[in-house]
Formats: sequence, C-alpha cells, structure tokens
Amino acid sequence: MSQLKAAKAKCKTVSVMKTKQIKQLVLTAVTGAQLTLSALAADDAATGTNGAAQVEVSAFAADGSGGNLSDAAEIKLLKQQLQVLIEKVNALEQQRATPQQSATIQDLDQRIKILARQRELDQESAAALAKTQPKLSVGSGGLTASSADTNFVFSLKGVMQVDSRTFFGDTAVRSNDGFLLRRARPIFQGTLYRDFDFRFTPDFGGSSVQIYDAYGNYRYESWLQLRAGKFKTPEGLEQLQEDINTSFNERSLVTDLVPNRDVGLQLWGLINDGVLTYAAGVFNGVGDARNSSNSSFENNVEFAGRLFVQPFKKSDIAALQNFGFGVAGTTEHDAGTASALPSTTGGVLPGYTTDGQQQFFAYNPTAGVVLANGQHWRLSPQSYYYYGPFSLLSEYAISDQAVSKGAAKADLQNTAWQISGGWVLTGENASFNGVTPLHPFNPRGGQWGAFQIVARYAELNIDDDAFPVFSNPDTSASAAKAWSAGLNWYLNRNIRFNTSYSHTTFTGGGGAGAAAPATVTRQSEHVLFTRIQLAF
Amino acid sequence: MKAFLNFLLATVVVASAGAKEIKLLNVSYDPTRELYTEYNAAFAKYWQAKTGDSVNVSQSHGGSGKQAQSVINGLEGDVVTLALAYDIDAIATQAKLLPADWQKRLPNNSTPYTSTIVFLVRKGNPKGIKDWDDVVKKGVSVITSNPKTSGGARWAYLAAYAYALEKNNHDDAKAKEFIKLLYKNVPVLDTGARGSTVTFAQRQIGDVLLTWENEAHLALKEFGADKFDIVTPSLSILAEPPVAVVDKNTKRHKTAEIANEYLKYLYSDEGQEIAAKNFYRPRNEAVAAKYAANFNAVKLVTVDQEFGGWAKAQKTHFADGGTFDLIFHP
Repeated sequence: MSQLKAAKAKCKTVSVMKTKQIKQLVLTAVTGAQLTLSALAADDAATGTNGAAQVEVSAFAADGSGGNLSDAAEIKLLKQQLQVLIEKVNALEQQRATPQQSATIQDLDQRIKILARQRELDQESAAALAKTQPKLSVGSGGLTASSADTNFVFSLKGVMQVDSRTFFGDTAVRSNDGFLLRRARPIFQGTLYRDFDFRFTPDFGGSSVQIYDAYGNYRYESWLQLRAGKFKTPEGLEQLQEDINTSFNERSLVTDLVPNRDVGLQLWGLINDGVLTYAAGVFNGVGDARNSSNSSFENNVEFAGRLFVQPFKKSDIAALQNFGFGVAGTTEHDAGTASALPSTTGGVLPGYTTDGQQQFFAYNPTAGVVLANGQHWRLSPQSYYYYGPFSLLSEYAISDQAVSKGAAKADLQNTAWQISGGWVLTGENASFNGVTPLHPFNPRGGQWGAFQIVARYAELNIDDDAFPVFSNPDTSASAAKAWSAGLNWYLNRNIRFNTSYSHTTFTGGGGAGAAAPATVTRQSEHVLFTRIQLAF
Repeated sequence: MKAFLNFLLATVVVASAGAKEIKLLNVSYDPTRELYTEYNAAFAKYWQAKTGDSVNVSQSHGGSGKQAQSVINGLEGDVVTLALAYDIDAIATQAKLLPADWQKRLPNNSTPYTSTIVFLVRKGNPKGIKDWDDVVKKGVSVITSNPKTSGGARWAYLAAYAYALEKNNHDDAKAKEFIKLLYKNVPVLDTGARGSTVTFAQRQIGDVLLTWENEAHLALKEFGADKFDIVTPSLSILAEPPVAVVDKNTKRHKTAEIANEYLKYLYSDEGQEIAAKNFYRPRNEAVAAKYAANFNAVKLVTVDQEFGGWAKAQKTHFADGGTFDLIFHP
C-alpha cells in the first residue's frame, strides 16, 4: 500500500514538473515569436512553416545561436529542432493524467485493494478451515486421528511380543522349550464426544483369540470417571502395569494371587493430578490370575477397591516425587464353582504357575473335585519408588479362599510377595510407565538406546490346610521361591529386547506323576527368557 | 494417618472459605466488543459490591451465525449475546443447551437493546448516497458481510429487501431484482460485521458500508469523524440482538445464578446507559431520551411484520438454496 502511495506521489511530482517545463517552453516560445515574427514574415509562404514552426524558430532565435548560418540552413535546422520539440510536447501531454485516466487509476487502486483484502480473507478462511479439519498423526505412539476440536479421537496401537523360553535341568519335563508369540494385540482406543473413552484389545497371541480389554469410560473430570466393560480389576500393582512396561517377561509369583481382567463397573479417578488414585468397582468375580470369560451368570459379584497415594508427587522433593504406596482388596462370596479358583494356566487343574508359566501347585487331591465355596477375599499392600535410573517395586498379596471338596471345607489363605528393582545403565529415568531412551538406537550415529538391569525376588506360600484334602502334597508344592535377573535393551520407544534368567525352588511336591505339577516340582526351575517386543 | 486426614480437611475448609472468583464466558457477535468490555467491568464491580465475589467475564466475538455454531459444537459459553434470535434458536433446537422458549425469560423478548442498519460513507459523501436506491446504482461499491455467517449482514439484507418491497408495492420479484443489484455492487464479503468495517475503514475499499448503527458510530470514533459520514436511509429494520443464558453450560460450570444476573443487569439503569453510550438503542425510555441525539429518526420495520419472523426469513433468504444463494454469485 505504501509503495502504491509512493508511486502515485512520484507520478504526481513528475507530472507537475513536466507541466512547469511545458509552460516555460511555451512562454519562451511565445515571447520569442513576438520578437522575431517580423523578420520571418517574408519566408512564411516559401517555407510553408506553421505557427508551431514560428514558435520553434523564435525559441531558437531568442538565444541568438543561429546568427552565423545562412537563412536556408538556419530554417532547416530550426525545423529539425522544432520537430524534436513538438515530439517532446506531445509526449509530455500524453503523460499528463486526464480525468478519465485519474478515474482509471482510482479504479485500479480499488481493484488492487479488493484483491489484497480477498486474499487476506481467503487466508483467514483457510486458517479457520484448518482448525476444523481432522488431524492425522503417525508416530511412536501409533496412528491417531482426531477431530479438529479433539472431541473425537481414534488411535490404533499395538503390542507384539515374541518370546523364547529355555529350561535347563528339566529332563522330566518335555516340550516346554521354544519360541512363542506371547502377545499379539492390536489396541483400538479413543474418545467420543470429548468425555467418553473406549478401548478394545483382542489378543491373537495364544492358542485362541481372546478379548482382553473392551470397555467404555466416562470422564466427567479426571477425578471422577466411570468405566464399564472388561478391564483389569484394581488389585495387583504389577498386574496393573502395562504389559509392555514390566521389568521381566513374566510377572512375579504375586500375580498368581490377584485377578487379571474381569467384566464389571468401576468408579475411579485421579485426585489432585494423581496424588491420590482411587478405584471402586463391582465385577463378576474371577479366580486368581484368571482372565474372565465375556459373560458369567452367577448370583454373586465381586467388590474391588484400591487406593494408591503418591504423597510427594507435586512436591519439590525430586527424590520422592515418584514414591507411591497403596492398598487394594477384593471380596466375593463364591457358591461352589471351579472357575472362581485360580487359573489353569500351565496345567489342567486350577493352580499357580512359576515364572516359566509351569504349574507348581494345583487343587489336585487324589480324589474328588475342589470348588470355591464361600468367601474369597484378597488384600494387597503395594508400593513403588522411582528416582532417576533407579526403580523399586514391591507388593504383598493375600488370597483367602473358602474351598470345599464334598463335605470337607477349609478357608485357605495363600500369600505371596515380591520385591524387584532396576537400574538404567545409560542414565535414563525409570518409571512405572517404562523407560524412554535418550539416544534411540542408531549405530551410524553412535547411539545405542537404553540398557537396564533388573532383579527380582518373589515367594508364594500355600496354606498348609490345603494339604492333603484339597491338594496332593506329593505333586503340588506348598511354596515357591524365585529369583530373577535380567537385562533389558530399549532400542527406542517402540522396540525392546529382554533377556532374563529365573530360578525357582519348591517346597513339597516332587513326587511321581506324568503331568504338572508333579513334573514341575520334581526339580528347581531354571529358565532363560528372551523377548523381542514391538509396541506402538 | 489421622493427623494427615485432619490436615487435608483443614486445607479444604480454608480453601473454600474465602470469596469466590467466578469465570463467565460471553459468546457474542462481532461489533459488541467495546460494549461488553465496558459492561463486564461495570458488572464485575456491581457483583463484587453485592456479593463479595469477583467475576471475570471472558468475551468471544465473531459472526453471529458462526458463534452460534461454535456453541453448538462445544464452545462452553455461559451466556450468548448474539445478533438475532434465530441464532440462539439454533442453539436451543440443535444442541438443546437451553429451552426453546428462552426468549420469554427476560423482558422485551430478551432483547435489552436494539439497533438498526445505516450507511457509513466516505467524508463528504462523494457518491451522493442518501438512500437504498443510491446503493444499487452502477459504479457504487458496497461493503457488507456475508449473511450466511453474519447477523448484521442478515439485518442489512432484510432492511434493503424491506425497502425494495415497500418501493415496489410488495412485488417480491422486483425486490429480488433490487437485492441482486445491491449484491452485484459488493466486491468482497467478510464473515462478520467487524471484518466489513476493517475492509471499508482500514483497507479503504468501497463507497458505502452497510452496518450496524453502533458500528458506524464506533467507526467515527475510532477512525475520526473527518473520515466518514453516517447516512440514515429512509427505511431500515429494527434489529433486536437477544441475550440468553446457556442453561446446560451454566449448570456444568455452576454459574447459572450469576449468568442470569449478568443478563438481567443489562436492563438496569447502568446497563442501559452503557448500551446507549456504545450507540445501542436502549429499551429504558429515560435513558433513550437522554441519548436521543445519538440516534437519527428512521422508519423501522420488523422481521415479524415484514418477513413473518426469523424462522421464515432464514428459510426463505439465507438457508442453502435460499434467495441469497440465488442472487449472489461471487
């Protein structure tokens, strides 16, 4: 705009200057003509000169420059000079803006302004439109599409874990080494209408497809949320940790005593940005370590609750900010059902498994069938502490279960505890949500990711009253003690390699038998794990 | 543990005992920025004196139709103060954030002040624009905003249409032809009235701006009375910009009481005075008389009388496929 104004001003100045020149020229010419008109009058007819010629002649005559020339030569020269002058005058006249030309300039000026404004409005419109356009992002967190206002979000994430297990010194046990697809889970999650979250996680990793998570969550505020569907019961600390973030391939013996996923309804929230986390829910109820089926029609339900405090989370004491402790519990009245007993994983009867996922205890009396019959409650104090590269997690669990076998009844209290710790050798911070390498794997750039060493000790003790009525002491162990050590290599946020060694010893069991738990308890368990994990 | 719980309880009690700081969001249309800046300060002062609570009112401005759509899409305004009732009706019917009879909740159909459409021309009125007939003349460049998004533009459109109907014995075809000629003279459409003012006054485009009366006065105030003249046409329209509490949002924010009081205070002497000072025609007769010099006499028609109400006017003229779509081709 300022350039336009400057140009117009310059044009006006030039125009004024030229007008002045023309006026001076004409004035000079007219004056000269009056002075010399009589001298040239005789030649008018012969030369045919017009008025303009007279003007030109008189202009030159006035300065006396033609005084030494002959008349003819002088006239010729004057004619030439006259022609030049005429052309100059015409040119100057053409440059003078007429009213019409002035109007045209104004019109052009308006058009330019309109175009500029339209461009401005188009840019505003484009910017406004961009705000309404859905956003698509692809990154280490998966594929996410969201509406412009982020009220609607859809994310595709996934977990794939390829493991190997190699057992040593277990000649009695066959067919337990090998590679396995431990987890292969696409995760669909998102938000609808800003406050409604959902998550759907099937698992293709086992022998059959199972649904692990399928829930909706209404988020009034972060401190008041309602979740319904199939999800983790709020109980075991390590169980509640995401599969991709656990320190070892398999969770500890404590996880044998807590529920996995269940179908139910849970009120929960994070108070004061997570200083206090609470959850209280009602579920169908599942046996220890079980992942519930998608339906369960019983007259009884399980109540579960958990409180977890991070008292220094918002304090300035960095060393204590990631210290948390809490307690969780469940209670249910079982009415003579086998499915409320522990998972059958690693065996054919309900029982508990080792780190190597082999069943070392089962409700396997020599005769009869054991049922969960009566009150079943669990209690689990728990804590963790993370500071810089250091991590520590500990939990204790009691699973107190009333069982029956025919007329025989007992209230069995099984307990377990674990403590695990880690150190990130490359200095990154450890957290409950995993380790993020500061220098993602890039050998060409001399970057190798993050390395973490981990160690764990865990025990599980079976109530003495379980033997021999509800479990065969010759084959089932009454206790298992396991220590583990491992090295985790985080190449980047998505790829992780684990390797660990786990050693489990048993008390009791070890008798004859062709299947677990006899084959398992006959010797200590020595197992080497490896894992390639891809998670996004 | 007991000591810790006592500490927590004490913290909660102490935190809740003091005076409250309340936040409100007023979603308004384009030219009300200055009005509500002044009004919000006055209301905050009034409310603090009355209750001891401080209130902070945020403002959101844009084309009235766009603003209504933003509220429908989730902009959590506690109150809406829009250019026309149809836009608040849309919030009531589409998002059900307030009852359909919202207009009955406050006096004068919830319209605490009115306005009309006038012409703002360049100083000396070089194109000699005196009435609507001059606006449609060939060679006159007219600035107005898009009736699809701007409330003020819809009022301007209807004012011109009403004039054409009256001039042509309510011959609708001739009125359409008139309005077609008018928009043929519009070189650029802004989305809101404030944008049109920028186009005309700052960007120096056009010969005449069709605008709110208050916006025209504001332009004189902002850019200098030596730059523009206000021309009042022989006929214009009674523009009634309504106000309403957005019930569901205030319930969510727990601001229902103060939001109601905020709007009611617009009818108070102070509220009316502020409206008049900002060149909105006050409802209060005493205040109107005091500021009568600010407002030229003009014959005003209403949407109800001339167009059968906003719902019908919207459907006939501004809905997709309506008259405006037929006559305006950018």
